[in-house]
Amino acid sequence: MLFRVDPTSTVPLGDQIAASVRRAVAEGAVAPGERLPAARALAESLGVNVHTVLRGYQRLREEGLIELRRGRGAAITAGASPQRARLLERVREAVADARDLGMTEDELLALVRSELDA
Amino acid sequence: MTSKNLGRVTLAALPFVLALLIDLTLYATVEDRLPDRLAVHFDAGGSADRYMSLSAYLLYTVPSLLVPGALWALITVRGKPHGRAHRWLTGGGFAVAAFLGYLLIAVLFVNVDVPEGGSADGFPLWHIAAALAAAALAGALGMLLSRLVPVPEDPRDLDPATRERIVLAEGEVAAWGRGIGAWWALVAVLVLLAAGVTVGLEQNWFIGAPLIVLALVIGTFSRPHVTVDRRGLTVSGLLPRPRVRVPLERMEAAGSRSVNALAEYGGWGYRIRPERSGVITRSGEAIVISLTSGREFAVTVGDSATGAALLNTLLDRQRAGR
Repeated sequence: MLFRVDPTSTVPLGDQIAASVRRAVAEGAVAPGERLPAARALAESLGVNVHTVLRGYQRLREEGLIELRRGRGAAITAGASPQRARLLERVREAVADARDLGMTEDELLALVRSELDA
Repeated sequence: MTSKNLGRVTLAALPFVLALLIDLTLYATVEDRLPDRLAVHFDAGGSADRYMSLSAYLLYTVPSLLVPGALWALITVRGKPHGRAHRWLTGGGFAVAAFLGYLLIAVLFVNVDVPEGGSADGFPLWHIAAALAAAALAGALGMLLSRLVPVPEDPRDLDPATRERIVLAEGEVAAWGRGIGAWWALVAVLVLLAAGVTVGLEQNWFIGAPLIVLALVIGTFSRPHVTVDRRGLTVSGLLPRPRVRVPLERMEAAGSRSVNALAEYGGWGYRIRPERSGVITRSGEAIVISLTSGREFAVTVGDSATGAALLNTLLDRQRAGR
């Protein structure tokens, strides 16, 4: 799995790490069950703080792409399909667009809810 | 099977088939002069201590030459050895066939004209020396003959300039990592552990303890992980050490190609050969690095093209002084 972070970017480093994994899942480069590098090892590789990596991993866990097990590290979940990863990307884009438009959280949620009810 | 393969397989199996034919021919010529029970096993002094019937001798002789012959043919086909490896493999086959063939015939001839029901006088130990000499001669002949059959060229890599790259923005940092599934390492660990404990309990711990230590070292490598980053390429186990690291400074270029564990590395594990070394868990795709020393380092890992492309990118960056 290829991880890339750009320290000059405005996107937080942890989010960039999460985006790397999301991209790999979306492209089918990693399969369910595959392990992610240990947070400490990845932090050393990228020259970032270990907490930054853990923040990225935490985010992926919330999205359901990886599972974190104490002592066994992080692994891609069984449900992490390329389609799911691409959906997550589009949700992120939608949220970013809504913020750019100055929409509030409630307004965006209402929008999603109306789409779900339709 | 291609015609090229056919020639190599024939050459690999030839010495064993020849030895068997010679053995059977000589058996036929002396069959009338042999006793019913052949002396077939001798102690260190050369005295017979085990006997076999004539038909059992034949049942033993045929597979004892045909099985290694089939093994050699199989290694030649599956291992696809090239260059020096092929010459040594062929020479080795001739040597083994000559050694076995000579001893099988020698055993037959010490039994010639032995009185019925009596035992052979013994097995003169110079037969062992003669068998070794025959093996050396046949081995040399095999190495010469191996030059006659066409063998595949040593696979070498492309020009570094044509290699893949990964486009990185100025200042962007990248790392690539992937696990290597080496299920057999776990089996090896368990076997070694069991052997270590058994030997320790039954014999002595001076032999048992090193086996257990070896098992633990392999154990930490039972789920190896390959990392490519600004420091170079690292293969690590469960613990930070031991690990294998090739720094960027020692690399010329990287590529991705299919490697053959048996032919190119002579087996599996951490292999060190005259021109190449590597962590080889299987035959198949691998990151192959040309080192500045002129040697090669390989690690078998999936998605090796991405890992190799990142290494080339990092090498470019290092050469540009960034």
